[in-house]
Parts: sequence; C-alpha cells; structure tokens
Amino acid sequence: MFWNNIKIALRNLKKNKLYATINVVGLALGLALYVFASLLADYERTHDMFFRNADRIYTVGTSVLPEANLGIRDIDSAHTALAPLIKAEIADIQLVARSLRREYLVRVDQESFYERVRFVDPEFTEIFDFKFVSGDPSALQDPSSVIISEAFSQKYFGDSDPIGKVVTLDNKHDFHIAAVIEDVPLNSHFNSAILNASVLDIFISFQALSRISDYNPEGEWDNLSVNDLTYVQLPPQLDGDWLQAQATSLFDRHMPEAGKDVFSGFKVRPLKKANLVIWEMLGLPVMTIIKLLGLLVLIVACVNYTNLATAQALGRSREVGMRKTMGASQRQLLTQFLVESITITAIAMLVALAGLEVIIQLFNNATNKILTLSYMSTLPWLVMTTLIVGVSAGAYPAWLITRASPIDALRDVARKTKKGTRFRAVMIGVQFAISVFMLSVVAIMYVQNQKMEDASYVFPRSEIYTLQRLNVEGISERLDTLQTELKNIPGVENVAYSIWTPFDQSNSSTNVSTVPGDSSNKVSLHILRISPEFFDTYDIPLLSGSAPTREMANDMYSEESESINVVVNELALEQLSLGPAHEAINKRFYDLDEDDNLKEFVIKGVVPSQNIVGLHNDIHPFMFYYDPTNHWVASIRIRGNMLSTVASIEKVWKDVIPEYPMQGRFLDETFEEVFKIFRAMNMTLAGFAGLALILALIGLFGLAAFMAAQRTKEIGVRKVLGAGSMQIARLLVWQFTKPVLWALLVALPLAYFASAAYLTFFAERIGSSQAAVIMLGAGVFGVLFAWGTVAGHAIRIAQRNPIQALRYE
Amino acid sequence: MLKLHDLYKVYRTDDVETVALSGVNLEINQGDFIAVMGPSGCGKSTLLNIIGMLDSPSDGSYCFLDEDVAGYGEAQLSVIRKKNIGFIFQSFNLIDELTVAENIELALLYHDMPAAERTRRVKDVMDRIGIAHRAGHMPGQLSGGQQQRVAVARAIVGDQPLILADEPTGNLDSVHGQEVMDMLRTLHSEGTTIVMVTHSPAHADYAQRTVNLFDGYVVTENTRAA
Ligand SMILES: Nc1ncnc2c1ncn2[C@@H]1O[C@H](COP(=O)(O)OP(=O)(O)OP(=O)(O)O)[C@@H](O)[C@H]1O
Ligand SMILES: [Mg+2]
Repeated sequence: MFWNNIKIALRNLKKNKLYATINVVGLALGLALYVFASLLADYERTHDMFFRNADRIYTVGTSVLPEANLGIRDIDSAHTALAPLIKAEIADIQLVARSLRREYLVRVDQESFYERVRFVDPEFTEIFDFKFVSGDPSALQDPSSVIISEAFSQKYFGDSDPIGKVVTLDNKHDFHIAAVIEDVPLNSHFNSAILNASVLDIFISFQALSRISDYNPEGEWDNLSVNDLTYVQLPPQLDGDWLQAQATSLFDRHMPEAGKDVFSGFKVRPLKKANLVIWEMLGLPVMTIIKLLGLLVLIVACVNYTNLATAQALGRSREVGMRKTMGASQRQLLTQFLVESITITAIAMLVALAGLEVIIQLFNNATNKILTLSYMSTLPWLVMTTLIVGVSAGAYPAWLITRASPIDALRDVARKTKKGTRFRAVMIGVQFAISVFMLSVVAIMYVQNQKMEDASYVFPRSEIYTLQRLNVEGISERLDTLQTELKNIPGVENVAYSIWTPFDQSNSSTNVSTVPGDSSNKVSLHILRISPEFFDTYDIPLLSGSAPTREMANDMYSEESESINVVVNELALEQLSLGPAHEAINKRFYDLDEDDNLKEFVIKGVVPSQNIVGLHNDIHPFMFYYDPTNHWVASIRIRGNMLSTVASIEKVWKDVIPEYPMQGRFLDETFEEVFKIFRAMNMTLAGFAGLALILALIGLFGLAAFMAAQRTKEIGVRKVLGAGSMQIARLLVWQFTKPVLWALLVALPLAYFASAAYLTFFAERIGSSQAAVIMLGAGVFGVLFAWGTVAGHAIRIAQRNPIQALRYE
Repeated sequence: MLKLHDLYKVYRTDDVETVALSGVNLEINQGDFIAVMGPSGCGKSTLLNIIGMLDSPSDGSYCFLDEDVAGYGEAQLSVIRKKNIGFIFQSFNLIDELTVAENIELALLYHDMPAAERTRRVKDVMDRIGIAHRAGHMPGQLSGGQQQRVAVARAIVGDQPLILADEPTGNLDSVHGQEVMDMLRTLHSEGTTIVMVTHSPAHADYAQRTVNLFDGYVVTENTRAA
C-alpha cells in the first residue's frame, strides 16, 4: 500500500510537470533557506564547544545604564580590577583569567608586522585546553616568554623550529618563544566574534603588560575596551546563576561611585555566547530573527504547496470518489494524499540539500566560517522537518478532497461549488502578508541605515587619510616634525592630531558643573582631545570664539594644568544652561571628578552639535581641547589625487620614523567598518524578503495557471458568446486581487510596529509619515508584481482561439 | 437480499427542493437480474446510488442482508460496500493515472489482501474478459468498449455478490453494448445478483424483472419467465 502510494505520487508529478516543478522548486527554496538559517544560527550559538570545559566557562561583562547614553546595553569586558577580587573573595572559584588585547609592532629578525597581542593570566591555559605542539602551558609562568600559534610560527619562521627564538615588541621589548599551540578552530569566539575578531596567535603573561607599558591593572576601574575579556571556570556543581549573584554582589561592594553612574552591574555569559555578544550589546536578537525569517519563508513555501495541491486535488475528485466506491476509507485516502505531499517534500528536501552543499561552500569561503551540514547529527531533524512540512502542507487539500461522500466526489461537487476557493484566497493573502511585511520592514531599515550613513557625510570623510597608533614611544616625540613635513606635500591641505577620529566608536567623558563641587546639576560631557587644526581639517565651523592655538599657554593641556580653554558644542551649552553661543565665550565650568589636577574649563569657542560618535547614537554634549599628550591618530586632509598623495605621505613617514611601518587608512574605511554590519544585516533581510516574494509570486503564477486551465471551457464559451480578451483577462486577474489587497491591510500595520521597534534603536529616526510612505511603497510594489504575474498569464490565456479552449475539455 | 421500504430522497439546494425518490418499495432477492427503466430524471441513478450506499436516503428504511443501514455513517457503509457490491458506471470512471491492471486492482486494494493474491486475481479476471494484452496501458489509450470492459473487470474482480450497473452500455455502440450485456448474463448465470439501469428495452430483456420508475416512484414491475 505504501509503495503503491509513492508510485501514484511520482506518476502524478510526471503528469503535471509545471505543477510539480513549481511545487518542488518552491518547497526546495523554502527548505534550503530554513535549513541554512537554522544551521547558521546553531553554528553561531555553539561556538567554542570543543574546549573540554566549555560548559563550565563563563565570561563576565558589564551592563550599561541607559541614562549613560553610550548607545549600547552592555559590553563584553569587565574592568581589570575585577578578576583579582573574584579570586580573593569567592573561595569556590579557582580559575579566573583576564585577556587584554593590544596592538604591537612585532618583529622577528628583519620582518615586522602589526599584531594583536593578548596578555593573559596564567590560568588562561588551564581554562582553555589548547593543544600544544611544543612546550607546555607552564610557559605563561615566565613573564618574558610568549606562546604562539602554528599559523603565527608559519608566518614568521616558515618550517623551522620557533622555540627559543626572540620576538620583539615595538622595537624594544624582547620575548622568547616557549611554546606553540595548534590553531584554534574557526568556530571559536577568539576567531569569529563579529566585533573586532582577531585570531589568537600570540599571547604573553599578563605581568608583562605593566612591564612594557604604563598600564597598571591593579585596581583599574577606568578603562574598558571591547574584547578585553574576563573568563571564569566554575567547578562542576555551580552554575551561571550562582556566578551572576556573586558578580552582582562584587559590583555593589567594589564598583567605584563614578562607575555606578555609568554601569548597572556585571553580566555573566556562558562561553558559547561570547561570539554573539555584539548583538546583545546592541540589543538586536539577530540570530533569533534569522531563524524566524527562515521559518517565515518556509511557511510561504508551504502555503504555495497547499494552495496548488488544493487546486490540483479538486481535479482528482473523481479518482477519490472511485476509490471510495471501491471501499477506501477516509483514513486510507488521507494517508495516500499525505504520502504524496511527503514524497514531494522529500524530493524538495533532497534538492535543497544538494543546493546547500554548494551554498555553504560559497558562504564559508566568503565569511571565513566553517559551517558544515553534517548528516549524521542533523538527519533526525531533517527527517522531522520533511515530515512536518509534508504533513502540514498536504493536510488541508487531503482533508478537503477525502471528506466528500462518494457520490459527491464522483459528481465532482467540490469543484463545481468552488469549495476551497475561500481557503485559497486566504492562503494567498497569508503569503502576500508575509512578503509585504518583510519587504516593508526591509525598506524601512534600508532608508534608516541610509539616513545614518548620510549623516556621516557632514565630515569630509572621503578627503581624509588617517595615520594610526601614534601614541608609541619613538613616534610621539616626532609628531611635530611629521606634521611639518606632511604639510609640505603639495596635495596635503591640513594635518590634525586627535585621540580618536569621528565614528571610531570610542567614548570618554567627565562630569562637570557650572558651580565647583556642586554635583546636584552635573552634566556628563564627552571629551575629544585634539590638536588646534582639528576643526579646519574636519570642516567643523566655529559659531563663535576661536579654536585653541599653539601659542597660548592656557589653550594647551599638560599634566599640571588646572585650567584649560575648551571648545564646546551647542548641546553642551544648552545642558549647562550657559546661554546662546555668542554669549558663552569666557564662561566657565568645573570638573567634578577628582582624578587629576584639571579643575576648570574656560569656553573659548562654540561649534554646532554634530554626531561625532556616529552610528545609531544620539548627538552628545561635547568639549574639545588641545592635548598634545594624547595624539593617537593623525587626520590628513588631502585635496586632489588621493593615491599619489598617500605615496608621498608614506615617503615622508619613512624619512621621519623609519623604525615603524606606517599604519595608514582612509577615513572612509573607518566609516565603512561601522556601516558594513548594518549593511550586511540589511542585505540578509532583503535576501529573505526577496525570496519570500519570489516564492509567493511563483505560487501565484502556478495557481493562476491552474485556475485558468480549469476554466478553459468557461473561457471558451464566454469568448464564443462575444467576450473580449480584456474582459476575460480582467475576470482572471480579479479573483487574485482581493486577497492581495487584504494582505496589504494586515501586513502594513504589523510592519509598521515591527519597524518602529527597529527604529527605537536609533537616536535620529526617519519620521513616521516618511515610514508610512515607504511602507505603502513596498506594499504597492508587492501588489504590482502580483498583478504583473497574474495579468501576464491571463492575457495570454485570453488571447487564445476560442475553439482551442473548447476542445480542451 | 435487500429490501427498500417507503424510501425517500430529497435534494435540497439553496431555494429548490427536488424529490428524486418518493416512497419507493422494492425487494431484491439473491440471484435476481433486475433492469431499472424510466424517463430521464425519474430517479434511477439516485435509486442505484442509494442501493450501492454511495448516498443515503432522506427517509424510509433500507435493509441490506437483514441489517437496517439507513442510518449508517460513511465509515460503516464503506465496510459493507466493499464486501458486497461492485459498480459499473456509464462514464467508466477509470482513473487516468493508473494502468488497466492497477485500475482493476483498485477494487482489491482496500480489502486487506496480500499483493500476490491481488495480482493473481487481477490476471484471472483480465484473461476472462480478454483484456490481458492491455494490462500495462493507460485508460486514455483504450477505446470506449475496451474501457467499459476494464470497468466490468473491476466490478467483478472482488467477487462481490451484488453488481450495480448504471447505464453500462450508454456510451457504447451496439456491438460493444452487446458484449457487455453478454458478460453480465454470464455473471448472472454464475449466481451474481445484478441491478442495471438502462434506456434500452432490448437490453432490459436480458433481465428477469423490470422495474419502471416514474417521478420518483415505482409504477410497474414486470417479471418475465426465464
Ligand atoms: N445532487 C443533486 N442535487 C439536486 N438535485 C439532484 C441531484 N442529483 C439528482 N438530482 C435530481 O434528482 C432527480 C433524479 O435524478 P437522477 O440522476 O436519479 O435521474 P435519472 O433517472 O438517473 O436520469 P437519467 O436517465 O437522465 O440519468 C432529477 O430531477 C435531478 O435533477
Ligand atoms: Mg442517471
């Protein structure tokens, strides 16, 4: 009986080739996307599981107060002061390790490259069971030794043995190589964290960091950089909730007051979440969304099948009647139809899997991931998916067709009374609702992202070339020479230094007040340390007053400064209630934080409020002052040919600072880095939405073809009686228009709410009327496509010779 | 074998009520060969469908093998039907997607019969009816007469004691019609009970008894000496 059913299923497929192709292709697309989305989400969610203790390892990050206005909810790192406290105060925890990542110029013999070096506590190699090719974990006990990866070894030493060789950081600090580990697989947060990923290929004892830099980790509660992680390994009997409670209590007892103004607590995460932390930081549950979208597309594909199968099943009413006459029970017939739909789903699944083999390969190559479709572990899930899809897609047509009494079935009552028409209409509606919903959300996201990107063009981003990492001994003393030499290059218009550039995603702030020591109306001001040329270089106009100069002593910050002249933006003026720009000059405000000598700020100039932090952030209140001790980046404004000027810049650098390679990049690249995440998100969504729409259109086309074939006789008769082609076409199109219009009515409000949720993420949003227009546009777009699909077909049908139509039956 | 008493069938559509059968009384015995005649629309097919349990009466009683089946649901009816009744239709009702052999096998498919047994029976019947050489063909590749022969084969392969034939010769020319009637006569002589609707007095002559319907009730019953 079972094989009999499958045989019939296959024969039916062969008989209706168009219908079969549409069904298989549609389901295959839906299944492929769904399986891919699930694989991707699972891949991203199960990173680092190859470490022996993976499920006992946690990271401790820090949650940010919304009032702090940092634009993120939390950060994956914790202050370096935390780890020693955990060890000292929580007896049950033996294994805690910090990992701080810093960029250094790494030299071996004559070869040097900038590398990201990790400084780690000795417990790091106990928590993570790296596979040692040579040497052993104890290498970290010696603060003058380093552990490298095989890839690193290959890069610098080729095939020769690296053990004992010397590695020099920043031309000054020598370390010897004590151990080599196998490369950590790609599906580890070390390699694939979306934010700032860098391969784990050289790490050094934590103690070395304070020896070679001025960084003092003890009691350090000021600095927090993304990716500086604190790892904790728990004993088997304890879990993450327990650790969270401990961490909260540590926060309450030890976090300094200034920190409590910005942070709300520590946040414990299992290791496997470490690579997805960016989405949590931003508050966008991207993996869940991807899985959900995959499911939505699969639903659209199922609806396609259901619709076509319903239409087609009605054509098989006589067969069902005959089988019933022969004594088939409804259950037997239901089984027959379900076996049929499961067979088709299974074929579609095979097609999807074949496609996925290719897609995954391409995806891995493009994204440096190692996604695999392992049939061993996923087989039960794939089979379940096939069964569920097959049964749910085939259930309605099977029920509809086998429900009729034998005589009704023989007489084909169902078709004649248009049973299932309403259902089909509803299903078309559902498909288009989903497609239009996705389309309009994508459209809104696109426009919003575009708006964010446009905002970045206030700055002359395409005319600026930046030089990074100037805060290094051996470079910082020569910045004046460098600036003079650079300015002599013909294409260079201006050269400014600053601690970071706009859109760099850095943040530093201090609390100030117009009354000394009065914290009752404190304002948190963001600080950007610059050189006097900064405003000219970035085209930031001064509304009143002037920029700092190199000549006036009070314009320049030094460690001893107690008072300094600053430039503020209008928002800072407003928050400090210091009146309009032209009245603000020479007004003063005072520092409330007591960490250095600086107490007093005198307003020297006012600039407009601009989005300097960039991305989705608010415009913040800012102050700028000239601080020659913190020149980390040079911004070079270039007029004319960028490339030849950059070549000249490189030549100048080599003359002035021969010991270090130049690290230059176009400011555009910095901006692009920020936008590319959003663009990728948008592209992905657009892909999903596009596919959903294509599926819906394929389904609509199939259904239109089917309905028209069924009405061939009616069309023939109408034409014989004098109906024109247009009248026939209108007749065929109209039956599909109503459900599509209904779909709009349902989808657009839903899309409106969904995109509103996305928009709250941004400080500067597109207006709600603009959003409405965009969504209507997307809706109209969907409807036009639907009409086009159906009308194209209808017109062809309508133009047929009526005799041809009549002979068809 | 079966007994209809005061049987009514009323079709209700939106605003009109059609009384297809009004108070039919009829008794059919084991081994009968009955022809049902009457003008178009008088209720012959309706009567046959109710006898065949493809449709249920609106009122009245229907005893089949001493069981009152008038109130039975489709699930119970289908069990009785597949055991006892074979059908032949005017429009053949063969399934286009199945081969000749498979169409015939269909009648056994729902009978809990091992596949080998089914194949054997189908082969026997095809030999008997003379369509064995067409076993692998699709119905669309056969002539009308051949299709009706397949339909007859399908009706008799299950060895059911009662065969219902609704205008079995209606779509056939006289030569092929004759062939089908000969087959029915052979079946009757082997003991099968047959109820046949026909418009042809000549074909009605094959039966022992003719029931004349008019406007939903039985007008006359003629019994012929064999
Ligand atoms: N499904 C139905 N719905 C409504 N009325 C019906 C239905 N089926 C049959 N009828 C009506 O019942 C009456 C009897 O129909 P039936 O098909 O039994 O006639 P018939 O005697 O077999 O005619 P013919 O010789 O033309 O086949 C007719 O008046 C017909 O219109
Ligand atoms: Mg009839």
